[in-house]
Amino acid sequence: MMNLLLDNPSLSQTLPIVLAIVAVLAVVFAVLIVLVSKLCFVHEDERIPAISEHLAGANCGGCGYAGCADYAKALVEGKADLGACGATSNEGKEQIAKILGIPFSAAEETFAVVKCAGGINAKNKFDYVGNKGCDAQIAYLGGAKVCPEGCLGDGTCAAACSEGGIKVIDGVAVIDKVLCQSCGACVRKCPKNLIEIIPKKAVVFVACSTKCRGKDVMGACSVGCIGCGLCAKNCPQGAITMVNNLPVIDYDKCNGCKTCVAKCSRKTIKEI
Amino acid sequence: MADFIMIVVSAMFINNFVVVQFLGICPFLGVSKDFKSALGMGLAVTFVMAITCLITYPIYVYILVPLKIEFMEIIIFIFVIAAIVQMIEMALKKFSPTLYNAMGIYLPLITTNCAVLGVAELVIDHAQIAALIGIAEGAMNMGYAVLYGIFAGLGFTLAIVVMSGLREKVARLPIAKPLRGFPIAMITACFIAMAFYVFAII
Repeated sequence: MMNLLLDNPSLSQTLPIVLAIVAVLAVVFAVLIVLVSKLCFVHEDERIPAISEHLAGANCGGCGYAGCADYAKALVEGKADLGACGATSNEGKEQIAKILGIPFSAAEETFAVVKCAGGINAKNKFDYVGNKGCDAQIAYLGGAKVCPEGCLGDGTCAAACSEGGIKVIDGVAVIDKVLCQSCGACVRKCPKNLIEIIPKKAVVFVACSTKCRGKDVMGACSVGCIGCGLCAKNCPQGAITMVNNLPVIDYDKCNGCKTCVAKCSRKTIKEI
Repeated sequence: MADFIMIVVSAMFINNFVVVQFLGICPFLGVSKDFKSALGMGLAVTFVMAITCLITYPIYVYILVPLKIEFMEIIIFIFVIAAIVQMIEMALKKFSPTLYNAMGIYLPLITTNCAVLGVAELVIDHAQIAALIGIAEGAMNMGYAVLYGIFAGLGFTLAIVVMSGLREKVARLPIAKPLRGFPIAMITACFIAMAFYVFAII
């Protein structure tokens, strides 16, 4: 541009014009921007940043919103429920409830478990060589596992976890209790709905989700529940009931004696 | 009508900004990982391109040309585009929160998109644009400029949407490790460019 200016025979005439035009345009647009910003001023609720400060900031998406900032906005607008966030600690939630002026009852701390221990213990119908991801695999004959409720082990849940807390070990997804923020992102991603949120105080969980009869389970998986009911009969607290051929543990009654773990002939009930 | 069709075909296909002129590659590769954000980006670019042509064309024709300071075009256009995008963003936030949320972060990103500056530079180059859309050089006016801006933006949208669709499919395929991620995106872009090249040789 300097060359253009220097080559120009009438430099002394051009330069002032250029400067004037740029200055005029600058002033015009500066005034316009100021005017527009005054006209279009949007009042942002000052509670939103205050709430964001107390949220866990994991941006896991477990609450169903695009991120923590989006969730904070929904909280202020009264659209979201404070309980929807699993990652924020109870102290943080108490502070948020104070800011919002709503009553708060401390929720129990929870974490997620995969209710399947199949993996290499569960038989395959065929060798799956298609696209990666459980959601892709399940589209083909419901996935490779003989058991219709078996973990496919392709790590769709692991990809959804923002904390890196899920690993596929021996063909089955395993959730790290320490890393788990209980956000629920994996629960929504699992195409077989195998992941469940349970209280952090739990010491045992049922690592099977099958709805098959005992005889079919025997043929399909060496660690699947056959619905014998021994755990329910032997639980001293009466905390286990059989529903759909599967034990269901009532964690309010369970005192962690682990009788069920000892009685289970299939090693389906696992210690955490 | 013939001119209109010529503008559509020229701006969207034959001289597609992304895959033929290689302008706006940054969002083309950066925001094409999923369909939804690609569409948002494409529509935001279309919007800004149309407004840019609407404002920079008269600035060039009625201010820069009479004063014989055409060489200032790039500086003034950058300046004008940045200011316009800033104002559009504020106005959208106030008057159409829905559109603001849909376009989201893409709107400010467009400020630095060379495709927008490219279309502003192209429509003022009367000889070139007239040859591209097959009209007499003197017949070029603001209507043509704005139309060209809109359809250049739609061409950008078309390219980025096609790219995002392919990348979504490719992401699922078992691809050799050295090619995963960015390299395969470049190869995908290459195939799209070859597909568009067919229009240039009709």
